[in-house]
Amino acid sequence: MPSVEHNPDSVTQSEWSPHILLTFLQSQSQNALTRLYQRPSSCLSIFRLLRPLERQLIMNILWLESATPLSTMSAWVTQEGKKPYSDSLSTLARLHIIPNSTTKLALNATFRASLRQAITGGGTTGSFGVPAEPDPQHSPPDIATLDAYALERWETILHYMVSSGTGQHPTKPSQEVLFLLQRSGLMTRVHGGVLQITSSGFQFLLHDPHAQLWELLLQFLHMAEERQMDLVEVLSFLLMLSTMELGREYSTENLSPTQSAMLADLRNYGLVWQHSTSARQFCPSRLATTLTSSSPPLPTSRSTGGGSHDQGFIVLETNYRLYAYTDNPLQIAVLNLFVNLKSRFPNLVVGAITRESVKKALANGITADQIISYLTTHAHPQMRKNKPLLPVTVQDQIRLWELEKNRLKSQEGYLYTAFASQADYEYVLNYAKQLDVVLWDNPTKRCFFGSLDGHANIRGFIERRSAGIA
Amino acid sequence: MKAIKGVLLTCDSAVKQILLTMNEKESFIIEDLDDYHVVIKADEEWRVRRELEAELEKNTYSLE
Repeated sequence: MPSVEHNPDSVTQSEWSPHILLTFLQSQSQNALTRLYQRPSSCLSIFRLLRPLERQLIMNILWLESATPLSTMSAWVTQEGKKPYSDSLSTLARLHIIPNSTTKLALNATFRASLRQAITGGGTTGSFGVPAEPDPQHSPPDIATLDAYALERWETILHYMVSSGTGQHPTKPSQEVLFLLQRSGLMTRVHGGVLQITSSGFQFLLHDPHAQLWELLLQFLHMAEERQMDLVEVLSFLLMLSTMELGREYSTENLSPTQSAMLADLRNYGLVWQHSTSARQFCPSRLATTLTSSSPPLPTSRSTGGGSHDQGFIVLETNYRLYAYTDNPLQIAVLNLFVNLKSRFPNLVVGAITRESVKKALANGITADQIISYLTTHAHPQMRKNKPLLPVTVQDQIRLWELEKNRLKSQEGYLYTAFASQADYEYVLNYAKQLDVVLWDNPTKRCFFGSLDGHANIRGFIERRSAGIA
Repeated sequence: MKAIKGVLLTCDSAVKQILLTMNEKESFIIEDLDDYHVVIKADEEWRVRRELEAELEKNTYSLE
């Protein structure tokens, strides 16, 4: 049994933020989670999303038939490992994988049985999908076709978001996708009923495709609850997709009605491919099969995001000029959000980062840090020889432009003044400070400024006090 | 004791001076607290922000 102290991740991992799906699962009931854990594919996918220490804890006790005393396990933990260890335990308890207990450690019985089955194989539940019989009329698409299909669907969505409000008319995604974008607050209907991108939509565009995909899918899960779909079925279908094999056809026959209905939505996002809407086979695309893994969700040649080093295409010079070696309309559209583009060649766009272009981006809700991190992750391999990667002048200037925008900070509230005596003032101020609503105070002027939400309390306090005196 | 509803503006002293000059034209300041803080009328905030923006814009130069 490997011990926790030898795990190099044990100290740093507490800084990792958990995957957003796990955060969502933690808000679900124990009942729902136990039903989800009945499927080996769900257990394996969730296991893959956990942090290394959590995975190790599960592995340590997976094959034990009886519960381990808590003291035995904690004997392995070093002094500095204590915090990550207890963090991990509490995450696992919230996921109901290791139920909270003060004396014993044991896996949730359902989870244990399913994960064992996922690892050893066996069982006839078809939880990892049932491969379809080859259909003589329709041969399954090859991987290149699937990738092109997924990319086309996904980029249609992103491109629609980027070019909204610019007067261009890109291909519209389906109504369901538009509705989802609106519900998630990434786009909003402005007067005239035209959809326009919001500031959180802009931030969304700068994320890597994996995060974008999950953000949309989580929104989809929230909507599933409202549409009276069974959340466990929806989730387990997504997790099942994530364990499927790319380029293989699966049969729709074992799917529940809810899951069959989902196929239509997933086609819209480019997660699955079907040769017709009533087909009895479906193919998961790379977007689907990488949902719970760390490999890139889109084929690498024309990826729209992702931070992998061999895909960088941006060269930024100290004179604020920017050269982007790309012909991808989506990448160009994203750059257009904060770069003043001047000329375009078959494989290259040239532009400059100017005060105006950055101000426009800031006004749209993009932050300086987001711009800088986008430029960093997409820097051309040539740029990687530089240390630091981006010219410091440009980085600093982008930050300064952001500061310039925030020269004025405003907070609504009430100014309390004209106190009868110093003691009176201090008494009320003290109370307000305990509530943590004081934004500014000055004893010599005998006045202070309190935030809006503290006003009702402070007024009540003063009224009670003057009533007490009178 | 008095409570006056308003908006607390936190700014640097240069911006504060511009605000004071603007206030002479059309009064909106309720209380001048110190070098970095003023309280203004809540419904004037967006007008003040717009005018301040225009004023600051005069002091920047563009290459274009």
